[in-house]
Amino acid sequence: MRFLVQPAAAPRARAPVRIFLAFVALALAALAAQRFLAGGLSPAGVEALYLGAAGGEGLPAAAVWEEVHAGAFSYGFVLFVLGSLLAVCPVASSTRTALVAVAFAATAADLLAPFAIAAAGGGGALRVATFVAALASLAAMLVAVARAFGREGGDGGA
Amino acid sequence: MRDPRLEPYRAPAIAFAAYLVLQAASAAALFALKLGGAEGVRAFYLGSEERFTAAKSLAGILEVAVPHLVAIPLVLFAAAHVVGFARALPVAAHRVLVAASFGAALAGILAGFGVRWVGPELAWLKIVSFAALEVALLAWAGLLGAVFLPRRAAAPAGASRRAAGEVAR
Repeated sequence: MRFLVQPAAAPRARAPVRIFLAFVALALAALAAQRFLAGGLSPAGVEALYLGAAGGEGLPAAAVWEEVHAGAFSYGFVLFVLGSLLAVCPVASSTRTALVAVAFAATAADLLAPFAIAAAGGGGALRVATFVAALASLAAMLVAVARAFGREGGDGGA
Repeated sequence: MRDPRLEPYRAPAIAFAAYLVLQAASAAALFALKLGGAEGVRAFYLGSEERFTAAKSLAGILEVAVPHLVAIPLVLFAAAHVVGFARALPVAAHRVLVAASFGAALAGILAGFGVRWVGPELAWLKIVSFAALEVALLAWAGLLGAVFLPRRAAAPAGASRRAAGEVAR
């Protein structure tokens, strides 16, 4: 992980970073497919999951916390590694901070939205919006890193 | 921030620290909801007539243990790596915190197997190791915050240059 805090080592890190970015892209696509199949991309589907369909019981609190627990690891780790890679890319400091801040806000909102839906007894559109924002913001970070590390012969931004 | 080279890592490190807090909070909520106190831990692993639950199978315990054996060391490694690089703690204190964090994580994972197959009294080990890991996660998050959160009072102009010189040496 030394390259994460040593920009001079970025060129040597180019190949593994590219592969890592490909896996992050695949993970984001798989997450979107998983949400789609679970009905998570429509407000009605989200409400059915968390509040229960046709008077049925919604997801138990423990299941919602499990989702938060797993999501905090995967979102947190991907955000941390992409943000650290972004630090050695030729991106303006303000842009870099904005990309990380927006991704953090969007992913945290996506993890915590089920609690708001349960408290309000509706509002499934919120989770759809937070998921789209989380996906888009992480994708934007990914593209910014890929633009630097994808260049042949460049210095990976260092 | 003592080392100016850390400045570009401020935002991801703070986000990571916030996610460490969220991981600790969600783990505490799950522990309270699923296990609770010592009696709850025993009931969770050994089964309970009151709860209509069977004793945990090896496959059931491994289903939880395996992802934790990957995720917890990764998180601790990343946090310890950044805190160590930033020299936020004296070397000895850093070593102690690293050892305590990984030790608590391992003890917590093994305690589940212990309660099931060694002795129900190991429920206390599960609780103590869980609490220790929670404290460790919050400590790493606090240290990341201490290193990377902006200070209210600006340091004297020469401070960052002196810090940069120290790092270079």
